[in-house]
Amino acid sequence: MQIIGPDVLVFGVDDVPACHEFLTAYGLDAQDYTPEKGGLFTGLDGTGLEIRRRDDPSLPPALKTGNMLRMQVIGVVDEAALEAVQAELSKDRQVLRLADGSLRCQDDQGFELAFRVTTRKPLDMPGEKVNAPYHPARAANAIGVSEDMPARPRSLSHVVLFVPDVDVAVGFYRDRLGFRITDTLTGAGPFLRPQANPDHHTHFFIRTPVYMQGCEHLAFHMGGPTELMLAGSRMIRAGFESFWGPGRHKFGSNWFWYFKSPLGCNVEFDADMDIHDDDWAPREAPMGPEAAQAFLFQYRDKWAPTGGPGGPKP
Amino acid sequence: MLLCHLDELPDGSTRGFKVAGLRCKVIVVRRGDRVYGWRDLCPHYAGGTPMAWKRDAYLNGEGTHIACAAHGAWFEIDTGVCVQGPCLGKRLTRVPLEIRSDGTVAMATSGR
Ligand code: FES
Ligand SMILES: [Fe+2]
Repeated sequence: MQIIGPDVLVFGVDDVPACHEFLTAYGLDAQDYTPEKGGLFTGLDGTGLEIRRRDDPSLPPALKTGNMLRMQVIGVVDEAALEAVQAELSKDRQVLRLADGSLRCQDDQGFELAFRVTTRKPLDMPGEKVNAPYHPARAANAIGVSEDMPARPRSLSHVVLFVPDVDVAVGFYRDRLGFRITDTLTGAGPFLRPQANPDHHTHFFIRTPVYMQGCEHLAFHMGGPTELMLAGSRMIRAGFESFWGPGRHKFGSNWFWYFKSPLGCNVEFDADMDIHDDDWAPREAPMGPEAAQAFLFQYRDKWAPTGGPGGPKP
Repeated sequence: MLLCHLDELPDGSTRGFKVAGLRCKVIVVRRGDRVYGWRDLCPHYAGGTPMAWKRDAYLNGEGTHIACAAHGAWFEIDTGVCVQGPCLGKRLTRVPLEIRSDGTVAMATSGR
């Protein structure tokens, strides 16, 4: 099935202005925003997060756990792909076709879903270029970093869900929607990618008790590790709080930096994720600190060594 | 150990304080003329992790509960018990506080 991945994640929150403060600092663009009604917060390709008040009557019902994720809007390549999703899911559940052409239904564990022909706009922006000995990637005189260079989230990358039953989740996303399992962290769960997206994962499921069902974190892709480090450092200096990172994951190879958020889940910057095709042989490793990252660092304030003892004169 | 003066803690507000010798901050919530102290360690993961999404942002939107911004756990301000989210049934670690006659808020001296 020609699914690309989440176009938009919809949240019903208890503090809309706090989400606005956080998400604009994170680098998303606020569209049609008011403190009363919320708005859409987009990355550079138009994918994003829709933030509404938790009592907004236009939202689908909330999860019983209090988690603020209300719906995933999943983009597919074209109308034929949308019809394929409709035909498949209509076999055993109600699938509504809304006036705007999108589909609405639930997965097998009560997560609300919408499907639509994707509205993301492919970006004509180069990724980070690295100069290696004998293989420079940047032209002469092109500098690699500057303090004020842009570091904005480019595209919604993935959503990670706490699920009561991983087998049920796999039965739906793999067996019904055609997602591929790329790797599995045993004890936690599988990473999945839809067929029309080569990214290592758009979804990762973590087995939890029923009372935790919801969104564990979401992530946007940055243009490279330097953008990720700059964006995260700017967040820290503005008073926001890191949860995990910066570091680099093993499965997916993506650089990561997670920040706590008023969305009630972590919000991650990621960069340089592996891409795969159907020749890939999925790996497995037991979940734990070893498998979760190749390396992990912690932010510290800027500092500089100098020549003589005692440091620079003030 | 002195944390602040009541004047720096308006009614309904919450602040986190670094304390020498403690590996986590101490959260102080003021409700009227009472103050509640909790270690800034969410009990979701062993060892605990700090909870605010921004400096001093420890409460949920309505200000009714202490909230962990990593995965949305809610804790009662007066008992520290988690009533929603990943650490359901667990509780925060209390830091006993005292308000001195001059209005300063301090960690209660040990043995009390
Ligand atoms: S770390 Fe606090 S809810 Fe998960
Ligand atoms: Fe992630």
